[in-house]
Order: sequence, then structure tokens, then C-alpha cells
Amino acid sequence: MSTKRIMKEYGECVADTPEGMKINFDENKITKWEVLLDGPDQSVYALPEVLSVSVRQGGHFKLEISFPPEYPFKPPVVSFKTKIYHPNVSNDDKGSMCLGLLRAEEWKPPNKVVAVLRLIQTLLIEPNPDDAIEPSIANDYKENYKEFEKTAKEWVKRYAK
Amino acid sequence: MSRPQVLNGFHHYGQQQQQQPPFDGLLHLQHAAHAHAHTHAPGPMYRPLPVPSLPMRAPEHPAAGYNHQHTGHHGRTSTVPMSDPAYLAADDELAQLQKLSNEYEPETTVSAERRAQRAACSVPTRAPRAKPRLRGLLLPALRAFHPPSATDTPQGPLVGERQSSSAIATEYANADPVYRVKTAALPSKYAYFRTCRGDGHCGWRAIAFTYYEAMLRAGDVLKFEEEEARLTSMHNLLNLAGFSEDIYEDFVEEAFGLLQKLAGSVRAMDGAAADILLQTFNDFGTAMAIITYFKLLASAWIQSNPNEYQPFLLDYPDLKTYCQHNIEASNCEIDHVAMAALAEAMVKPAGFGLEVLYLDRSPGAEINNTYRVDGVGPDGYPSANAPTMRLLYRPGHYDILYKAEDFPPPVASQGPIHVALAGYTDGFVPNSLSSSGITDVMAFIPGLSYPAGLGQRWPPVSYDYTPNPAPQTQVAPVPAYTPAPTPAVPVASNHQEYVAPVHASHVNHHPPTNHHTLHLEPPVTLPIHPPPAPPPLSIERAPPVSVERGGPFRPSMYEFEPGYGAGQVHSLPFQTSIFRNSHYNTAHFLNPDFQPEEWSPDSEYSTNRGRHKSTSQ
Repeated sequence: MSTKRIMKEYGECVADTPEGMKINFDENKITKWEVLLDGPDQSVYALPEVLSVSVRQGGHFKLEISFPPEYPFKPPVVSFKTKIYHPNVSNDDKGSMCLGLLRAEEWKPPNKVVAVLRLIQTLLIEPNPDDAIEPSIANDYKENYKEFEKTAKEWVKRYAK
Repeated sequence: MSRPQVLNGFHHYGQQQQQQPPFDGLLHLQHAAHAHAHTHAPGPMYRPLPVPSLPMRAPEHPAAGYNHQHTGHHGRTSTVPMSDPAYLAADDELAQLQKLSNEYEPETTVSAERRAQRAACSVPTRAPRAKPRLRGLLLPALRAFHPPSATDTPQGPLVGERQSSSAIATEYANADPVYRVKTAALPSKYAYFRTCRGDGHCGWRAIAFTYYEAMLRAGDVLKFEEEEARLTSMHNLLNLAGFSEDIYEDFVEEAFGLLQKLAGSVRAMDGAAADILLQTFNDFGTAMAIITYFKLLASAWIQSNPNEYQPFLLDYPDLKTYCQHNIEASNCEIDHVAMAALAEAMVKPAGFGLEVLYLDRSPGAEINNTYRVDGVGPDGYPSANAPTMRLLYRPGHYDILYKAEDFPPPVASQGPIHVALAGYTDGFVPNSLSSSGITDVMAFIPGLSYPAGLGQRWPPVSYDYTPNPAPQTQVAPVPAYTPAPTPAVPVASNHQEYVAPVHASHVNHHPPTNHHTLHLEPPVTLPIHPPPAPPPLSIERAPPVSVERGGPFRPSMYEFEPGYGAGQVHSLPFQTSIFRNSHYNTAHFLNPDFQPEEWSPDSEYSTNRGRHKSTSQ
């Protein structure tokens, strides 16, 4: 069940990859997708120096989407392999992102991976500090946006080149 | 009691514990928590049964494994049946409470601390009453209400085997009196039940499973195709509700696949359909696909009938939001609206009935809250003979119920069933006694030797009246007499021979070890059974048991219960002729539990062989 579904979804993602994303798909291990994601222009995660260059903007983030054996009855797990200063991404070696439709109790079997990819992109543009996994970063974001922006950009420079 | 007011709740708690069993409403959550902590912590098995305070009558399905897992969102406030683990927990807890109570000194700081705890405690509603220590216990227990994953916390099968519903009563034996009374009354109307694993999907699983099972019970091959066509026509609703076909077709495939498999089995009449169904529903992936299909249909149905469901869902901004969060979400338990929607969308048009029994604490002698939907036949009127799907709902959990008549015994596969009226065997008694003309010591003890004598003297009778050996089994159940004081050696040895069949189950466990009774048998049986000497087999089988059973003790009354010992279902306790002819005998047609005696070739030959051969030849 899950294999078939994952293949189907991969086909769909390839046909309709959201802008600034690239999926590295290993046929031997279809339950783990590697996603390369450019920080969207509108976000703090775009690399400022490169902004002028039209080809590739933004920091390069590596993500992993792994599908549990129970997929699609359990949500896929999204984790940032590249460190990112973001209220909704855990600031540890896992870099897990778990909110919205990715939550186990909110996940719906008909949901598609494309929707997950879009959600990630949206969250980079507009973090959701009210549903944060890192309260201190969320606090920064809400109370002290300047500081947040500065740190976030520093991290992009440091980790996401 | 000079304790300050602040502590009242706290201290009182301990007091109440001591004085009365923990049925007070306030304590439910905590005990529930403990019950869960205890049942889930140790291992994958279910709650320990049997409850020690019950008689030793082992349930027919020993670990019947009623996995009592309360789930869903209602689970938190539900009351959970108490059983001994809960009591034990209560004792531990009591000790802790006592300790805390003893250590208690500066009330202000403690109460401040408690308030802080209270504020910090994330457990809702009643939890604040829990003392600080309890938090550690309570939280893991609450997590048990929402098991992280259905597969990594094994709690019994996803759908269990059908079993006697008396297991439910057993489970509630120590619970609140209302539950006790209601569950005790349950088996008389609903003879069987089936557990569904409480992993948050039990309600969906229960209704999906019973739907397929009702298809099987309808037993019509065409029906499967009709249903497939009808469901296919409902896919328009799915499209309208915004589900994309390439996604839901996977679920459809599994759901229809099962329909087709079952149809194939019904067509082939290979009897495998029920197993296929059970296996399919115990496969997580397939079952979830089917459940998801049901969920999508429920969601689509609600969204396409807004007028019917909107009034029940005023708390939600719109039906779509409701459906997304309460139906489509992969980890949400079925609620009543969804159940009603499925009843309309799936059950009724299929011509089935649906009954949901609500087991709650409302006063009453039996379950008095029932949701019922009648199936609609092709003519638009409720169909009378349609299978009814029955569910048992306890707050936060669904199981499956059956009435006894839902499952007529498979007559065809069992061969001929011989039914003997009680009076029929009775008629032979005088004959057998007089024909043998032997003064049996036991025959003079009223109510004792009668059936034993009967058994002995069957051979002449059967020669005279009927060549059919069947009726003899009716007299076979002699267990009552074995333990009777055995006045003389010959009689005793006879008894040993008759005991054997009854305790056949023991024979298996005790390979023939005692052979001294062997010596007794031939001299005695020969005179009384003139025709053949008992075949060696009977000798082997007979002795061990009688020795075990020896002494002046009668067997426990539970040994007479139907189902005690393998294959002895129809050994009825004929103790005296008076009893045998009274309506207390279940073989009597006036008995409310009338159960004609049946002759089953299997049990006859496997357990009674010795005696049977010796008497029938």
C-alpha cells in the first residue's frame, strides 16, 4: 500500500515540483526523500549576497522526508538536515518540523506530499510562532524581529551556503 | 481533623479510600490511570484475567484478552471498570498518600506547592485533585489513552475472535454497580462479542468490520456486486468533496478487494470467508485503507447533506472543517455524527440494520440506550430479515456485539444431530432395571445410582428398542455420581469406567499412570455387560481420572457448566430423576435455556470411546 502510494506521489511531485525545490529520489530507498530547498526570496532564509544573482537565490537547505511504514495513515516525518533558525524547526540534530498537517492527530490519509512541500515553503516565508517547537526563537520572532532576522541570516550564512 | 481547609480534598481522598471502594466518581480517573498503568506497563498482554475474586471457573477463552483500551478524546473523562489491578494500585496509592499525609507539616508551603503543581499540571478537569506524586503516574497513563502507534504498542488483535459476552461481565465484576448490573444482563440478549483494539480507530474498525460481516451473513453473492456498484456510484460524492481520485482509489482498491475476496469465498462455499475477513482486518495497512475509505465516504456524505448534519455541528465553522478534523484525520475516533452518517450512507442502503448499545452509568438494569437504524430494502421499506450490525459503545471505545441468533450453528458441517427428549430416555429406566434384574447397590440409594445403573444397562435396552446408539450418550453424563460414596468395590469400579468420559480433558494431561484400577474393572464389568469385554482402549482411558477424582467429594458445581472440559458441552448434570424431569434441566423443553441434548460424533468417540464401545456392541 505505502510503496504504491509513495511512487504515485513521487510522480506527482516530479510533475509539479514547487519552485526552488529539488527532490533526490533513491529508488532503493523510496521511503526517504532528500529535498533540496532554496530559501524563498521573500524570507529571511534567502542569502542576501546572492539575491542579485538571478539564477539561484537563497540559502540551500537539505531536508529529509521519511515515510513511516504506515504511510499514508501516519504522516511523513520532515526534518531539516541543515541547521535553520526557525521557530517551527527544532534546534537540535534532528531539525524536525512538526506542525499543521504534519501532526499525527491532524494528518489525513488523503493528504499529499506536494501539500507538505508547500507547507514547508510557506513556513519559511512566514513562521508560525504560536505553534512553535522552539519557544525562544518564537519569542525572538514575535518580540524582537530585528534580532531574529539577524540571527536567522547569520545561520544561513554559516550553515546553508 | 484539624487539617486546614486547603488540604481537604487531598486528605479526604485518602480517607475515602480507606472507607469505601474506589467507586466515587472523583476517583475514577485516577484509578483508571492506574489500571492503565498497570495493564500497559508490564507487557504486550491484556489486562490480567481472571479476576481472583471470581470463582475459579476459567473463561472459555482464557486470555480472551479483552483489551480494554479506552481511546479517543472521550477517554480522558471516562470511567474505567475497576478490576483488581486498580485495587492494588489503590493500595499503593493509599500508602503514598498516607506517607505524604504523615510528612505533612507546614500547610501553607505545601498548599502553595500544590497550587503550583495544580497550575503546572496539564491534566485537565479532575486532575488537580491528584496529589503531586500522582502526576508521574497519571501522565503515562493518559498517554496510554492515546497510544502513539497502533503497531508499536501491541494490545491484542486489531479485531478479536468472537467470544462469549460473559467476558464483559467478568471484566466489570468489580466495577460500579450500574455497570455490573448492566453487563451481567448483557449475555442473555447479546451472546457474543468481539473486541476491537482501542488504538483510536476502534469505532471505524467496528463498523467497517460489521459491515463486511453483515455482507457475509446475508450470504448472497450478488449482494457483493450490488454493493460494489452502489459504492462506486458514491464516488461522485468523494469527487465533489474534493478528494482526488488518484488518492482515494488506493483505499477503494482495498475495500473492493475485500468485497471480491469474500464474494469469491461465498461463491465457492469454502467456508473461508470469515477467516479472510478477520485476517484482513488484522492487517494494519489493509484495514486502515478500508477504514479510510469509510471515513472519506462519511465525510463526503456529511458534506453533501449539509441540512441534515449542520445543526449538530454548530460548534464548527463549517462542515468541511468539521470533517477534516473529526473524520478525515487519520487518528481520530468516530463520533456520533460520523456514526450516524455512516449508518445513512453505508448501512441503511445496503439493507442492513445497525444497533449501537451505549453502556453508560445511567440508571437501569440493562443497557437502555440504543441507537438503532433499520436497513432499507429495495422496496424502500425496512427489511425484516436483514442482518443487523451491533456495536457496543462504552465511553471512548467500540466493540462488536452479536445476538445468539446472528450465528446459527453450521448444521451442514456437523453431520446428523440426534435430539433426544428427556422423557424418551426416561421410559427405558424401568425396563433396564427390571430386565437386568440385578440388585445394584447404588440402585437403592435414591437419586444416586439411578443414572449410573441406566448407563450400565443400556445394552439390553438398545437391543430391544433401537439399534441407534445415539440415545446412549444422553445417559452418559454421569459425573455426578463418580464422587458419590462408593459402598462396594464392584460399584466403585463401575463408576470409574463412567467417569472417564467426563474428565476426558484430564486424561490428556495425565497419561495413564495409575493402573491399579485396571484390575478392578474386568471382574465387575463383565457380569454386567455380558456381551463384550470392554476394549483395551477403555481401560486405558478410564483409570487415571477416577483416581484423581476419588474420595467422597462431589465435583464442583462449575464442572457441570456447559463448556467445562473439552467436548463435554452436553454433559448435563442429571443428578436425580426428579431433576432430570424438571424444567431445571436445560434439556427440558420448559427450561428457559432449553438446549436439546445433542450427540456429537467427535466428542463421543474421542472421549467416551471406551464406554461407548462396550455398551453399544
